[in-house]
Amino acid sequence: MPSVGQSLPHDSATGHVTGAARYIDDLPRLDRELCVDFVGSPVAAGRIRSLDLTAARQAPGVVCLLTYNDLGGPNHFGPIIPDEPFLAAEEVAYVGQPIVVIAAETAAAARKARELVVVDIEERKPILSIDEALHANSFIGPERHMVSPGAESDAAFEEAFRTAPHTLSGRFFSGGQEQFYFETQAAMSMRGESGDIRVISSTQNTTETQAVVAEALGLGMHQVVCECHRMGGGFGGKETQSAITAVMTALVAQKTGRPARLTLRRGDDMQITGKRHAYQTDYRVAFNSDGRLIAAQMAFYSNGGAFADLSTSVMERTMLHADNAYHVPMLRVTGQVCRTNLPPNTAFRGFGGPQGVALIESLLEDIAKVVGRDAFDVRRANLYRDGDDSRNVTHYGQIVRDHVMDETFDRLAASSSYRHRVAKVAEFNAASRTHVKGIAISSIKFGISFTTKFLNQANALVNVYTDGTVQVSTGGTEMGQGLYTKIQQIVADEFGLEPARVRVMATSSEKSNNTSPTAASAGADLNGMAAIDACRKITNRMRVYAAGLFASAERGLVAAPEHIVIDQGAVWDDRAPSHRLDFGQFCAMARRERVDIGARGFYATPGVDYNRETGRGNPFFYYTTGAAIAEVTIDRFTGELVFDRADLLMDIGRAINPGIDRGQVIGGFIQGVGWVTNEELRYNDAGHLLSTGPTTYKIPNITDTPRVFNVDFINNPKHQKNVRLSKAVGEPPLMLGVAVWLAAKNALQSLNGGEPVSLSIPATGEELLTRMTALVGQAVPDAAKVGCR
Amino acid sequence: MRNSLVFYVNGSRHEVRGEAAGLTLSDYLRGGCGSLQGDRLCGTKIACAEGDCGACTVLVGKPADDERSVVYQSIDACIAFVYQMDRRHVVTVEGLQDGDTLSPVQQAMIDCHGSQCGFCTPGFVMALQGLVEESEGDQPLEDETLRLGLSGNLCRCTGYSQILDAGKRLDPKRVASISKRYDTTAMLADFATLGDGPVRVNSRDTHLSNGHAPAAPPVDIFLPSTLDELLEHRAQHPDARLISGATDIGVQFNHGKVAPAALITTQTVRELNRLEVIDGQLVIGAATSWARIEAYTKNAIPAYHAILTRFGSPQVRHVGTLIGNLANASPIADSIPLHYVAQSTLELASIRGRREVPIEEFYLGYKQLDLQPDEVIVAVRTPLPKANVRLRLYKVSKRRDMDISTVTLAFWLEVEGDLCTAARIATGGVGPTVVRLPRAEESLVARPLTLEAMQTAGRIARDEIQPISDVRGGAEYRLQLVENLFAKCWHEVKGGEVFSGSK
Repeated sequence: MPSVGQSLPHDSATGHVTGAARYIDDLPRLDRELCVDFVGSPVAAGRIRSLDLTAARQAPGVVCLLTYNDLGGPNHFGPIIPDEPFLAAEEVAYVGQPIVVIAAETAAAARKARELVVVDIEERKPILSIDEALHANSFIGPERHMVSPGAESDAAFEEAFRTAPHTLSGRFFSGGQEQFYFETQAAMSMRGESGDIRVISSTQNTTETQAVVAEALGLGMHQVVCECHRMGGGFGGKETQSAITAVMTALVAQKTGRPARLTLRRGDDMQITGKRHAYQTDYRVAFNSDGRLIAAQMAFYSNGGAFADLSTSVMERTMLHADNAYHVPMLRVTGQVCRTNLPPNTAFRGFGGPQGVALIESLLEDIAKVVGRDAFDVRRANLYRDGDDSRNVTHYGQIVRDHVMDETFDRLAASSSYRHRVAKVAEFNAASRTHVKGIAISSIKFGISFTTKFLNQANALVNVYTDGTVQVSTGGTEMGQGLYTKIQQIVADEFGLEPARVRVMATSSEKSNNTSPTAASAGADLNGMAAIDACRKITNRMRVYAAGLFASAERGLVAAPEHIVIDQGAVWDDRAPSHRLDFGQFCAMARRERVDIGARGFYATPGVDYNRETGRGNPFFYYTTGAAIAEVTIDRFTGELVFDRADLLMDIGRAINPGIDRGQVIGGFIQGVGWVTNEELRYNDAGHLLSTGPTTYKIPNITDTPRVFNVDFINNPKHQKNVRLSKAVGEPPLMLGVAVWLAAKNALQSLNGGEPVSLSIPATGEELLTRMTALVGQAVPDAAKVGCR
Repeated sequence: MRNSLVFYVNGSRHEVRGEAAGLTLSDYLRGGCGSLQGDRLCGTKIACAEGDCGACTVLVGKPADDERSVVYQSIDACIAFVYQMDRRHVVTVEGLQDGDTLSPVQQAMIDCHGSQCGFCTPGFVMALQGLVEESEGDQPLEDETLRLGLSGNLCRCTGYSQILDAGKRLDPKRVASISKRYDTTAMLADFATLGDGPVRVNSRDTHLSNGHAPAAPPVDIFLPSTLDELLEHRAQHPDARLISGATDIGVQFNHGKVAPAALITTQTVRELNRLEVIDGQLVIGAATSWARIEAYTKNAIPAYHAILTRFGSPQVRHVGTLIGNLANASPIADSIPLHYVAQSTLELASIRGRREVPIEEFYLGYKQLDLQPDEVIVAVRTPLPKANVRLRLYKVSKRRDMDISTVTLAFWLEVEGDLCTAARIATGGVGPTVVRLPRAEESLVARPLTLEAMQTAGRIARDEIQPISDVRGGAEYRLQLVENLFAKCWHEVKGGEVFSGSK
């Protein structure tokens, strides 16, 4: 029986539940291993006047303190624009920016030394907000534009706004979000006998870690190996920023010759690493009296932090998702990343998509309010229509095809009793003086592929051994998403083996070179296809060899590779199925006959091409789609929100592992719920993050999940591409979390007369109460005072 | 006097003195149990070192009152200390399976896809095992029990749904108690031979290498077994830090903010482990854990019980104490407003004698107490509300569970017919200490308890407080909350509109 399609447990599940699965800090301590710590900038912006390391160097247990002067290579890196120093040299640009690396015999000694380093800084007033950056013209990269076909003419675009029955305009805010991977950034490094460096890193990106370490240390990439066995969560936060701990430990290993390890403390990790970008967006939208979109203009500004990191790419994805699942006949989008004195913001599951999706979903909620229709109907009317040339082209020119969005909406409405519940919510709101309810649907159409074309490639190494067992290595990293398990299933099926006979090896730059980060939801798509390519090279050779083995002049069987079957742990010729060779036995025979039963595979996603300059093309191989309906109850006195019910329906193709994919959908969704409800990053005026741990930064708790929670998948016979006809699942469900925020907005709208209600992301209790209080005389019956903020 | 700690880890006897005694339990377990050659029990994970995520959850068994069995409860190992483990049996995730056979809890987590990245998983496994240990009868765990019971464990990957599935799938009849897995009789016998006397250990600086190793462990640790020993030692060491459940000092210790040179535990003192009703007053001893109070108040003070389930987490409530919360004197201490409006009395003791202090007189300013250097809090006495008392307690926090209050508020309204005859209202999170709201109270007394009266009182209350803006919320938000909670209280007390939602 094929294993693809079965819900095998995660390949590390036993290690997870027994505690045997090792993360960086759990690895055995090596002889003479050093503990690494660092000194970060105490201020958000300034110039380093002097650095006094004397006292720290003399402290007991301290082995060395290193600065940018100790780097063997250039002191800058960055995946897109190399504008970020490894260690601050003269300028500091955010609180906690690493300046000095400390190595000591114990963690306690390193920590004490940290307090003994004296950094004298001439402090400057930092730029923290998007508004401050706009005022100071502080930007990263150029402003980008996307204009939908048909919206090129200024005159026609303005005419659309002038003649439209309705228009809305305003400014929309969404806050940042901490990845909050459970294993903080961590790495350990060892120096080899020829000065080479081996880094074991909790990273989504072994190749970039290898490259960055090589560059910082002044080594060739061939002198650095980066391995990742697993991560205790990544969520995008370890796509680029895992480099920080890797470089620090590698530098110590290089300078001292001793193994070095660093696992960031939670507070340091939250203070110094980048997060999801906060956005501020100016918009206007024109629509007709039944809520159909006519034209929209959106000017996205993101808070990029001090250095470029992936911010321009994140902004690109925002712009590419400004439409979400809805056809906007005339759409103009601009995007500008702002340079501020916060840590460089970076990838986080969704990668800019959530910020674009949230805006248009918010607009549709407002539009429904203005035209007096149910927001579900307004959304459904605006969906991209499969096969309808007038309603299936995005603002960047890609045709949205082979989807089942209409069916998804209709099935979800029925399965969740949406109409009935809308009526019940209205009844409740009419009766209750203490609480208000809201219900809403949101959708997702998420483009799958890296928008940077060259990243859409992968390679894999498959080694078959003479007992018929298999090792697979790809550049894909395991962060909990079950990639290894899916690869295991795919490869097992290629050889017709029990999955237990296939083992996915730790990701290493030694086995897979020039790999892309495990990101963009495409880990299984790319690496699964590369693994298949390798497997087929092997099985093709096996077939040729087996054809000769099974050929028989007496029985009239000529050698015919196309008749060879490799399945069920055996090899046979389908014309003589009773004569079977055990797969292991066959492999041993193949080796003796000098048949190569190992191969490297390669895959490049076909048909993806996008021109960044013109804003046109086909950036995506396909789309993963879905929708969610959420219902919430809000306490009118406190703003406390209770998430009552969620119904999710997604098209994820044919799941390679339904159990794992279900986990991805639920986990991603709840992470999205966290972003729109209680996850709030609070900074002080000096740019210090105040919410630096779970005590003050509140990710969803088990009691925050809905009591009624239905998750289902819709069959899509039109989807006929991608590995084993599956679809990527990692990021898309996160954006369905927006439904909860929309339900809160829907609840607030019901307290207001004919006007839409503004609401920011996250809709914390404070945000909700403030907005309700502002709806004079509505929020709290007879309340005399209006809150201000 | 015994000068070493004796406890068991996964059935193995550990005798500890010296530096290891002052470590956090998680550092001890992860660092090789006090020996460079020792097993590193790295299944106990550190993700926050604040007792907030539960990844470090272990079970701690302690002898039952009758000393005939061992009772296991979950705690956060990252904010517990080795010196709290004397005469205990610590069970980590490594100690759950039997040879190669996984425990039913572990198997259920695998079968239901309860793990993704796996980092929080050992904590969930242990918390689930703890729930089974605590559950009575052999019925499957209910959704609500699981949710509240697992609210001290965070997971960033799964969205919890498949973990709940695992919990529901468990058949408690098949989940063997830890006490059946290990020879607890032998442990109890061992503890009995150690005797009841006090323990004193000294610890020096640590040399363990670990990403979360402490800045400086304590030096002189005293575990009194009687109140007299405690008071005597306290008088001689007025600078020593009194340790109750250590759930707050553990956090500060990990942050490098405190490293006391000497400390004295209170939970080893049997006389302090009191919980009873005497003359209409609930008497809670200094060593009594929140978990015991939670169970006890279910009928005695339902309003208290209801809000208690939102204090800390199950792991924290298993070791944390009310007295620790009161003595820590945070303006956002969850428990203080109730004790203000109930007019609780603190019993203080020293070798000089005993005295009683009304709780409101106990707090002199921000973290300043009417407590002499040689004194300890022995107990708190709280009058139980009579039938004419409308007691409502509020905790508003960003997240419902496992969060620190933004604002707390307690209403004690005595009514006769429609009239409010007495009103005591206290609020926290709005200033350096918890405060009463005398003008708001006065506006209610001798008047009908109407919505309008409560709204007026709420507006008055706004003027009686000066909250600040901080990470948990803005000043204006806090003002609005305090004002609004008056109306909310009226709806719940008089309007009869108690809507709990589906939580």
